[in-house]
Amino acid sequence: MDFFGSFALLLAFLCAAYAFVGGIAAILTRHPLLVKSARQAGIATCGLIFLATASLVYLFFSDSYWVSYVVAHSNRDLSTFYKVAALWSGQEGSLLFWSFLLAVYVFSVLLVYRNKNGELMPYVGVVLAGVQIFFLTLNNFVASPFKVLAAPGANGALDIFTRADGNGLNPLLQYPEMVIHPPNLYSGYTGFTIPFAFALGALLARYPGEKWIHLTRKWTMIAWCFQTMGILLGAHWAYAVLGWGGYWGWDPVENASLLPWLTGTAFLHSVMMQEKRGMMKVWNVWLVFTTFMLCILGTLLTRSGVVSSVHAFAQSSIGNYFVGFLLLVFAVCLAAYVKNRDYLKSENQLDSMISRESSFLFNNLILLVSCIAVLSGTLFPVFSEWFSGSRISVGAPFFNKVNIPIGLLLLFLTGVGPLLAWRKTSTDSLKRNFGGPLIAGLLAGIVVFALGVREFFSLVCLMLCVFVTTTIGMEFFRGARVIRSRSGASLLASAVELTMRNTRRYGGYIVHMGMVLIFVGLAGAAFNRDVQKDMQPGSTLQIGGYKLLLQGFDTKPEKNYTSERMIVEVWRDNKPLMMLYPERRFFQTNEQSGTMVAIYSTLREDLYVVYAGQNPETQAPVIHAYLNPLVKWIWLGGLVVVLGTLVTLLPNRRAVLVLAVAPERTAAQQPQTLAPSVALREGHD
Amino acid sequence: MTKRRLAAFTLVIALSISSGALLSSRAQTQADRAKQIGGKFMCMCSCNQVLTQCNHVGCPTSASMLKELDQWVTRGDSETVITSAFVQEFGTKVYAEPPKSGLSLVAWSLPSIYLLLGTLLVIFVIWRWRSRGMPPSVGPGRAPGISSQDLERARRRVAQETED
Repeated sequence: MDFFGSFALLLAFLCAAYAFVGGIAAILTRHPLLVKSARQAGIATCGLIFLATASLVYLFFSDSYWVSYVVAHSNRDLSTFYKVAALWSGQEGSLLFWSFLLAVYVFSVLLVYRNKNGELMPYVGVVLAGVQIFFLTLNNFVASPFKVLAAPGANGALDIFTRADGNGLNPLLQYPEMVIHPPNLYSGYTGFTIPFAFALGALLARYPGEKWIHLTRKWTMIAWCFQTMGILLGAHWAYAVLGWGGYWGWDPVENASLLPWLTGTAFLHSVMMQEKRGMMKVWNVWLVFTTFMLCILGTLLTRSGVVSSVHAFAQSSIGNYFVGFLLLVFAVCLAAYVKNRDYLKSENQLDSMISRESSFLFNNLILLVSCIAVLSGTLFPVFSEWFSGSRISVGAPFFNKVNIPIGLLLLFLTGVGPLLAWRKTSTDSLKRNFGGPLIAGLLAGIVVFALGVREFFSLVCLMLCVFVTTTIGMEFFRGARVIRSRSGASLLASAVELTMRNTRRYGGYIVHMGMVLIFVGLAGAAFNRDVQKDMQPGSTLQIGGYKLLLQGFDTKPEKNYTSERMIVEVWRDNKPLMMLYPERRFFQTNEQSGTMVAIYSTLREDLYVVYAGQNPETQAPVIHAYLNPLVKWIWLGGLVVVLGTLVTLLPNRRAVLVLAVAPERTAAQQPQTLAPSVALREGHD
Repeated sequence: MTKRRLAAFTLVIALSISSGALLSSRAQTQADRAKQIGGKFMCMCSCNQVLTQCNHVGCPTSASMLKELDQWVTRGDSETVITSAFVQEFGTKVYAEPPKSGLSLVAWSLPSIYLLLGTLLVIFVIWRWRSRGMPPSVGPGRAPGISSQDLERARRRVAQETED
């Protein structure tokens, strides 16, 4: 099977090469057969990558311990569930997995548009094939997952040998979320290839109009949604497994995932300027290019060892290939832009400083500043070493100080943007739209202050959350009220109808609401508390309103590890509340260990209990307990963001006109002036 | 028990309680100070975590670093002295956030510079686009005629801008 996988990968490389060269020939000659054959080669590439990936999965399931990658990342006792996760747990497998996910996207695109956009698709196919060639080069010639174990035999030739068992999977990865977090994140990274291919293809083809934007919007939303889920699942994994009480440590690998998310978010907003007003064409194309390049840069950071990270793969020379690819992509994008920049001529005109357009510009500015700040902070240790000879670390405190104010500005704009009208917002409109939310925000500030919140940024954050929630609520309420007045349905049903009539706009508001919930959760971090104590059976630990009573500890042998578990009874208000079992797991195969945190989570706070090992001096078990307020809001916010994104992907439901006999009006009831039947409010999207 | 004896006994009890409380609060203050200072350093085991947060299983470094820190705090060393000691031992890699001096000042100032330059750029762009968008002033009763093509283009644009 290893030979089969290896062969499939090689064939995939050849097919991708044909799709690339044949595609270019098709563009030059416009020969229909060439166009078709290049597309078929693209589809065949994907099919072969699927086969290669299936082969590697089979090798894991069949305990094929003559394959080097299987030996390094699996063992016989590893559960089937984690044997799937072992696929992407190392450098070679994760690169194949990258190719696999990219192939899923490419396959879908080539199939969906097989009879559409004949002018554009050959260009898109060539760009996609180019990206696939790069990853297949790595899969075939640099980091093949199908290498076998071999040693010189009696006759001097290399003989394949089989190990009795594998080294096992990294304990940190043996957690349910690790089976879904990387696929989500990688789906985000690879998904941004599609808008990139369409943007570059449209630029190269000088494809008229904003059609490429319409074509890629859904693909961009899908990639963005996966990236968001990937980031949040990664944060939850860090929270539940690493046991340091937090969910975001500003580790270079975490930052690498955030960078394309920030530019992707900027693109999703600025693209509306192009669709509505034909503006910012150059900016949008470069935002898509940058997002794709940041995905590659993130991969480079993770895999090259340029920056140290607990998540990074082993240091290797593979980074050089990514640097080369990054430079090549940049050169191609720049050349395409220079050659065809007149095609991107925009009708950039603004009527007023206070308009939806301006708010989008500032939104993009804030997102880009955040992106550059995170990037420069991540790379600063490298630069400092180049310039001064000594590496200066940039850790979480720096990123928090820099990004919290930026994040709050962004939150403010999230509330402001939807209230502003396209082109121009009048003073009356400003007063009408902002009065309520501002008062609500200020009242919330007073209440929260009275409740004892004195931390400045948390206070501002909570005020802004209420401000944005009110703006979103008002938008739904106003629209739903109009529908209710005409249909007689309940306000909730009218709000649902309103959302379904304009899924993009109201789905976007739901996404914003999800972000608000996430910010509420982040605001709670300022009030985290923790206590660490040596414990003996019967002893107690007090944290906040909780009392932890250590009842004892036990050792439980499992199939793949031995668990050392503490039995902790949680009391609140002098009443037993529940049992928690924080544990440490010792994996015999690779002689590594890991923590399993016990969490009692409520909307108010998380009681987070870690078994921190034994005190080396007293041999007493140590419990580290944290009280983290509002953390659950982050995960709930993530769910709302995903829900909102799904809504934006739905097609709009058309309004149904119901003809009814209007009641006769008396002369006194007749309107004095002619008024439109539906009030068109400023800011209508 | 006479009144004087009772008063003396009460005084002794009060003194012992308050001295106990004082010692305990001092220990608490020291622990808080150690935690606050420890939050400014990285664990040197390459886990890329802040020293006081590093608890990954089997960390060979954080325990000894925290122990050193506790000793220095108990001895009453200032934050500057502790920082110098750590930097001498581990190099500048030990900082959790770059010091606000020398080359590191660049790291601190860059985000503000980005924001400032970006804001200026956006304001300039808006100003430029606004000046482009200003319609020529037309007096009352002298509205220029509009061609059917212009009207059609305007209709298309309105449809585009108000779709969804």
